[in-house]
Amino acid sequence: MAAAAAAAAGSGTPREEEASGGEAAAPQAQAPTSAPGARLSRLPLARVKALVKADPDVTLAGQEAIFILARAAELFVETIAKDAYCCAQQGKRKTLQRRDLDNAIEAVDEFAFLEGTLD
Amino acid sequence: MAERPEDLNLPNAVITRIIKEALPDGVNISKEARSAISRAASVFVLYATSCANNFAMKGKRKTLNASDVLSAMEEMEFQRFVAPLKEALEAYRREQKGKKEASEQKKKDRDKKTDSEEQDKSREDEDEDEERLDEEEQNEEEEVDN
Repeated sequence: MAAAAAAAAGSGTPREEEASGGEAAAPQAQAPTSAPGARLSRLPLARVKALVKADPDVTLAGQEAIFILARAAELFVETIAKDAYCCAQQGKRKTLQRRDLDNAIEAVDEFAFLEGTLD
Repeated sequence: MAERPEDLNLPNAVITRIIKEALPDGVNISKEARSAISRAASVFVLYATSCANNFAMKGKRKTLNASDVLSAMEEMEFQRFVAPLKEALEAYRREQKGKKEASEQKKKDRDKKTDSEEQDKSREDEDEDEERLDEEEQNEEEEVDN
């Protein structure tokens, strides 16, 4: 079952669909429509929920928890991108390479949990 | 076919956008680096979930809540995330409250009007409201099938 491939394509379904099992999750971010211009999270909550569900020890997860995880993941992406960029800067390059990321993971303690997971 | 949790990737377009906004103008990112960051983000969510779940279990709760996730961030040494996450949570709660009040208000308005007059209109609104109600019913707990 190529869930990952299907999820990468996918159409723009705005709502989380429990019935479909989270496979046809929306690739676009769920932007709250009530407040104009206020986007609380860009990552689709359905995808994050699918990741949370993947943990066999998790029984239930509240909506707020999913939201915070999504937001935290965004902060994480920003953080690791910036740290990796520091390495690229030292090499006077303008394109972030995979090795910059590897260096950042090795250099920064907080990223230790990533070691060996990206290969 | 066994599916590794790491295969659950977050959408590339969104990841790319977040990266580009975090970096100065003119900086690019190779495809390999971007896909590695995407995978790292997935691993991050899985790790955070596991940590948060430990806190929930310590509190003898079966449902992961927001404070479990915040505690997990501290545990994972991402204390710097805690403040912005708390702000985001406040904004999210306000928004959820606003949505609920808006749909309740809509219901009130609908009840006031006569049925025969608003039959067609209310049918459309009903679908929308029902969807929202469903969401709200699941507001507290999301069922996670094991």
